[in-house]
Amino acid sequence: MTSQAVVIEGLGKKFPTPSGLGEFTVIDSLSLQIARGSFASIVGPSGCGKSTLLNIIAGIEPHDSGEVRIASEDGANPRARIGYVFQSPRLLNWLTVEDNIKFALEAQSIGRGDWGERVRKYLDMVGLAGQERNFPLKLSGGMQQRVAIARALAIEPDILLMDEPFSHLDEITARKMRVDLMRILERARPTILFVTHSLREAVFLSEEVYMMSIKPARIFKHLRVEVPRPREPEDPRLFDLEKDLVKEFFAVLEQDNR
Amino acid sequence: MKSFTPEKLPSFLSAIGLLLLWKALSLFFLPTFLPSPLELLNTIVSIFSTASAYLVIGKTLQRVFAGLIFSMLIGSSVGLIMGLRRSVGTFFDSWIMVLLTFPSISWAFLAVLWFGLSDVAPIFTVVLIVFPYVTMNVWEGTKALDPELTDMATVFRANRFLLLRKVFIPQLMPYVFSSLRISFALSWKIALVSEAFGASRGVGKELLYWFQGTRADMMLAWGASFMALMVLIDALILRPWENRVFSWRQTAAT
Repeated sequence: MTSQAVVIEGLGKKFPTPSGLGEFTVIDSLSLQIARGSFASIVGPSGCGKSTLLNIIAGIEPHDSGEVRIASEDGANPRARIGYVFQSPRLLNWLTVEDNIKFALEAQSIGRGDWGERVRKYLDMVGLAGQERNFPLKLSGGMQQRVAIARALAIEPDILLMDEPFSHLDEITARKMRVDLMRILERARPTILFVTHSLREAVFLSEEVYMMSIKPARIFKHLRVEVPRPREPEDPRLFDLEKDLVKEFFAVLEQDNR
Repeated sequence: MKSFTPEKLPSFLSAIGLLLLWKALSLFFLPTFLPSPLELLNTIVSIFSTASAYLVIGKTLQRVFAGLIFSMLIGSSVGLIMGLRRSVGTFFDSWIMVLLTFPSISWAFLAVLWFGLSDVAPIFTVVLIVFPYVTMNVWEGTKALDPELTDMATVFRANRFLLLRKVFIPQLMPYVFSSLRISFALSWKIALVSEAFGASRGVGKELLYWFQGTRADMMLAWGASFMALMVLIDALILRPWENRVFSWRQTAAT
């Protein structure tokens, strides 16, 4: 057993150019290690390849070179469980809230006997107790995203991938969701890899922040956020961190443009 | 029933206008050539005062539903497989085009040659004409499957069977239901034509019989009563069923 939940070594990814004639490098020899139980964020500008990186880790996008290893908590299980919260909820709208979670449990071959307990526990955790029989389209966007979070947590993943999960919500709802996510994670604590373009979101939520540059994506800065939990969104220490990081970002962007 | 509203006035007037025009035209002809609305109603009542009329209708309904069910089963599965396996899709594409363009009336005649006067001939005719439409429709539906949901299911490691059951088939249901209602409308019209050529009993046979006796009133009476039955089945069974299957589509009241 290792203390690393995810190890990425020399990862490379190319996409064909729109003209179809050549290829351009999206990710170039990227290496990254995420410790078990930590909350790590990757921050980068739109289009830098953050989502591509998550999709490669999730196994729905092939990569060209390098290696991605996900260690499962139970060393005996060769296949790690991956929970994924996408930008949009991606719920099965024809299934009730409860059945959406059971879909993930069935997909993961989790024993039927545990389903009721898991559904109850995780819906309660995201604050949706009582919505079991409702259909997703009856819920607000924020509530749908909560169902998606409950679905990802319910499989008790070795790693939880989150791809800008609050970017489709209005700012007030997103704020509340961030605070609630912190509260949820006091009770369920998987390793989390969170992707965002918002430095503020990253420093508020995570312990580790990785900053990514664009074309090709590479990590140019790793920062540990030492502010203890529970954190307040208005904590001045977080603001200071954010300011410093913004400066550094612009410095790197200018360098790249030269 | 909702009460009468001004918006319904045009359709009400249109119905009255049609009946008046019909009545006026019927004054120029013999009742057996073009009966008036009231005479037609009387003819229908007299037809359905005999037990054999129900047997005739029952026989035809059996064939319509057998043809419809086979068409839906074959059409949906072929369409689904064509959509999920590109090579199968390319393979069957031209076959389906051949079936779609082959003249319908030829099937009706061929069925009689091949199967004689039996239940098989009308059912065979219905299936061969209707199932290609269902296939095309469902195939079209597979092209609209949401890749984001497929990715979601893949990340959560859904196996093929679960993916099919909970992700693909529900997304195809709108296409299946639109095919079902069109197929139903097609099936009963084809079944009647086919019965006229290749059945010993049925509504189609009745139409042929009264045609040979030059009794337009009886033909209209049979045609109108069967049409009414089909409209009823659509309104009382198919439409409510469809509404129930898609009840999840109702969004939150805003």
